[in-house]
Amino acid sequence: MMADPAILVDGLTKYYGAVVGVEDLSFTVERGEVYGFLGANGAGKTTTIRLLVDLIRPVRGRASILGIDCQRDSLRARRLIGYLPGELPVYADLTAAGYLRHLARLDDRPVSPAYLAELLRRFDVSEVDLRRRLRDQSHGMKQKIGIIQALMGRAPVLILDEPTAGLDPLMVRAFRDTLGALRKAGDTTVFLSSHVLAEVEATCDRVGLIRDGRMVATGTIGDLRRSATRRVIVDFREPVNGSCPMPAGVTLSTRSARQWALDVQGPLGPVIELLSSLPVEDIQVAAFKLEDYVARYYAED
Amino acid sequence: MSGRMLVALTWRSAVQARYVLLGSLCLLGGFQLIIVGQASAIEETRSFSRIAELMPGFLQRGLGNQALLLATFKGMVAFGYFHPIVAVLVSVVAIYVATEPAHEVEGRLVDLTLARAVPRHVVVTRSLLLASGVLTAAALLMAAGTWMGLRLFASPEFEAPPARTAGLLLVHLVSVALCFGGLGLALAAGARRWSTAFISAGLAAVVLYLVDFLAIGWPFMRAISWISPYHYYPALPILAGEPLAWQNVGVLLAASAALYAIAYWRFSRRDL
Repeated sequence: MMADPAILVDGLTKYYGAVVGVEDLSFTVERGEVYGFLGANGAGKTTTIRLLVDLIRPVRGRASILGIDCQRDSLRARRLIGYLPGELPVYADLTAAGYLRHLARLDDRPVSPAYLAELLRRFDVSEVDLRRRLRDQSHGMKQKIGIIQALMGRAPVLILDEPTAGLDPLMVRAFRDTLGALRKAGDTTVFLSSHVLAEVEATCDRVGLIRDGRMVATGTIGDLRRSATRRVIVDFREPVNGSCPMPAGVTLSTRSARQWALDVQGPLGPVIELLSSLPVEDIQVAAFKLEDYVARYYAED
Repeated sequence: MSGRMLVALTWRSAVQARYVLLGSLCLLGGFQLIIVGQASAIEETRSFSRIAELMPGFLQRGLGNQALLLATFKGMVAFGYFHPIVAVLVSVVAIYVATEPAHEVEGRLVDLTLARAVPRHVVVTRSLLLASGVLTAAALLMAAGTWMGLRLFASPEFEAPPARTAGLLLVHLVSVALCFGGLGLALAAGARRWSTAFISAGLAAVVLYLVDFLAIGWPFMRAISWISPYHYYPALPILAGEPLAWQNVGVLLAASAALYAIAYWRFSRRDL
């Protein structure tokens, strides 16, 4: 029997009055995966996350965590989640240590002091930082405390909304290393939303792209690369005139006598075949960038 | 497990609101001290009879002979438990505590709490528990203020209100405040902003106090005064030692229970 996926979202729909939060959203995240959830502001990322954590309720559809329904069996599902909200709320009077202590009391799973100490060391949170009131700390420090509170319970599913927002490059690396360690251990699934596409490209096994509340693309970075349109610039030794038929998935975007710009969707084999009979001097294939891929969807917004 | 979470949330809320709560409770206790001091000064100069002469006619007509109880040492000391400021302040303190869920939703603090395995009802129960605790503390401090005032300012031959009377007045006062706490919580359970819930419930407390007060001399208000929780706080009959109508407390507790049930229902269904 197949194990349930870590996260299953099936036809999830949420409206805020006349505004669409998410509509008929479906995807799965497998166990042990690091899944990047991308989308422009207002695309529905946070709505999806809040539906998974059962902070808001869907109009229709369902979501489950490790096979447990997020709405019908909310409490059991939430036992499996470590959550970092997009903006960390703080109690005005609490120090960072008091904040973590308070949240640990609310955690169903006991927090191991050794693991907490390791997280504090990894994210460079000193004793002095822990004794200061959280409201007086920098955004980056609040974010580090937010990440630590999400990780400290060792939940099997981590749901992180913009985890690296406000972190300096060293801490981004610490976060990346932490994800790497979790991935290596293989018993934690990470679902993260981010605007930092390089970050997603570097850390995620798969990504999903949401636009206007609907999933418009999902797959591994390799899948996206294969499905992306790439620009191929071809320079010729001598002028090439006359027309030749383009293979499927290839569009001649601009042409001059000595240079063609081709937009290629899919494998490059047919293009190479096409060019083999022509006096080619040089070929430049633009490297795949997730940023360009996503920007194309953002632009359509 | 829920018990541990409930204790953690209640403690956090109490610590967070400590300055407002301590200030209000000291004010309520101090008010009793002052009123006993004032009553003692008037009694020492045997001036209560002159106060009775100054009492507005509509009060005497509306309240009958029991109004004259206010012009006695016993009545004035007991007045500390149903003075308009006290009655409204105790209700507002209950509302302040009970509307915390709206504050947590507004500040997103509830996200971190309820993303964990904390049942939603624990958040409401926490507010109910804290409101009850704060009101009990208020009643005890007011009683302590009266006791201390009597020790400090009153001569032993002055006729103080019996402990039973003081206790009954406080039970009614706390029941009224619990009712407003329930209203505050029911509003907060669906509100996105704390100020919406707090101001609405606070205004309701003031308006409903006025409705009950104006019912003394205005037949229209008398016809609708049953909607006011203060209507079920018969302070003067209690002071006069009339047989107690426990149904007043029953109505207040039943209304409170209904409002708390609404709060549980709304909070369990709402988007946070």
